[in-house]
Amino acid sequence: MKKTTTNNSPALSASFRDPSGFLFRRDGVLYRQVNQAYADEYMRLMDSGLYARLVKSGQLIAHMESDPSKGSGQIFEPADKELAFKVLRPEPIPFISYPYEWSFGQLKDAALLTLTIQKRALKLGMSLKDASAYNIQFYNGRPTLIDTLSFESYQAGEPWVAYRQFCQHFLAPLALMAYRDVRLNQLLRVYIDGVPLDLASRLLPAKTRFNLGLASHIHLHASAQKRFANVTVSDARGKRKMSKEAMLALVESLQATVKKLEWKPAGTEWADYYEENNYTDKAFEHKKVLVGDWLSRIEAKTVWDLGGNTGVFSRVAVDAGANVISSDIDPAAVEVNYRLVREKKEEKLLPLVLDLTNPSPAIGWNNTERDSFLQRGPVDAALALALVHHLAIANNVPLARVAEFFAACGEWLIIEFVPKSDSQVQKLLRSRLDIFTDYTQAGFEKAFGEWFSVKEASAVRDSERWLYLMKRK
Amino acid sequence: MILMYLDPGSGSFLIQLLIAAIAGLSIAIGANWAKLKRLLGKNKKKAETDDEEDDDEQQPGA
Repeated sequence: MKKTTTNNSPALSASFRDPSGFLFRRDGVLYRQVNQAYADEYMRLMDSGLYARLVKSGQLIAHMESDPSKGSGQIFEPADKELAFKVLRPEPIPFISYPYEWSFGQLKDAALLTLTIQKRALKLGMSLKDASAYNIQFYNGRPTLIDTLSFESYQAGEPWVAYRQFCQHFLAPLALMAYRDVRLNQLLRVYIDGVPLDLASRLLPAKTRFNLGLASHIHLHASAQKRFANVTVSDARGKRKMSKEAMLALVESLQATVKKLEWKPAGTEWADYYEENNYTDKAFEHKKVLVGDWLSRIEAKTVWDLGGNTGVFSRVAVDAGANVISSDIDPAAVEVNYRLVREKKEEKLLPLVLDLTNPSPAIGWNNTERDSFLQRGPVDAALALALVHHLAIANNVPLARVAEFFAACGEWLIIEFVPKSDSQVQKLLRSRLDIFTDYTQAGFEKAFGEWFSVKEASAVRDSERWLYLMKRK
Repeated sequence: MILMYLDPGSGSFLIQLLIAAIAGLSIAIGANWAKLKRLLGKNKKKAETDDEEDDDEQQPGA
């Protein structure tokens, strides 16, 4: 996230909608300014015990308040003194990810967390004023609310202002993924404020009209939006009020609807990759040893395992002491990976869905609201194992450009060269004309030599593949 | 449907009132149903496990 350059605001470019406060960075440290306008709500969050309860259970990001009594180390100067009430220093999140990069299970867990927080807030007299998927981040392996300023005092009789946003950001994409196609979470890349409900309603199969939750929260909701589009909210409202019990019932109905949505990773190309490729156990184990040794030696603290499948080598990187993003194009592999993270309570591994031939772009207002994938780097080391043939042969990218891309990812690169004679490459070539005359080990070394110097190279035992440790020039 | 001047908020507001009312009602009926069963001496065991605080501490993804 860069500072905006188009005005004098010190706020980060994703932090401009809410007048309650904003995020800013000073000397590399992230701070959140709470404005005077939000003072009462902030104090209620802290005094009601809601903050402490949510932080204790890992549901809300913890922060430190500027506190001069604790010495100069805990004095945080506001970025905009006129507006400031307090300055907070939230715990830093190592990597910001977006809902269009999450697997089904990740989006579902983020949705359920939002609803759980809303219920807990209601019990202590507060309510969420936002239900944006972008307010949830994966931290230490678990979804966590990062927007401390999302709460407002609950007003008796008022409806849930974030209801529509919840349906658009969570329920609609989850229903589409479960009932139509898991790839439809990519709609979130197009619609930054969530999937429009009329679109979701049209795309969902007719049988979802017999699912009480989806029939009401999506189909009926979409029709009502259309039907009352000409009516102002205050006219629509009249003297109607919503009791707290009714609001709780609404949240519980959403909870039940989300919980019932299921998607199982099966039958896709990659989820069972390790069983059917031509690795022998020996080759696989040798590769693990090499990757682990090299990562430990270069002391990589941040790693991108690109094309990481279900995360076998990502876990080698975690064991070598790194925080790891494990990306794959296949939502099934990412789902399997995420379920492992959840089962084993792994804290340093974040699986994400990413198509390397078209990585997440910078989107939103001014093209700066959400960062592109590369803007969220670089990392200490990138892993590109059993990947180069997909980029160079299946996607037709010249090796020189593949090398340029990896040079932008990180200082170090561990990359596997898979020769044409390899059965996996032969499979790719079966349906293509072999125009890849430079795709040889010598051609590979020459192309990558422009960007990197080779520090180590080793044949992988029991295979025709080679593994390289390279450092960016 | 592209809304330039029209507001999707009104529909969202009305529909949540409706859903909340129906859901609230069904919860109330459910609770009274359990009470009724208890009175009639059925489901004694089930009635003891109240789900008041069910997912309070539960962390999705944990």
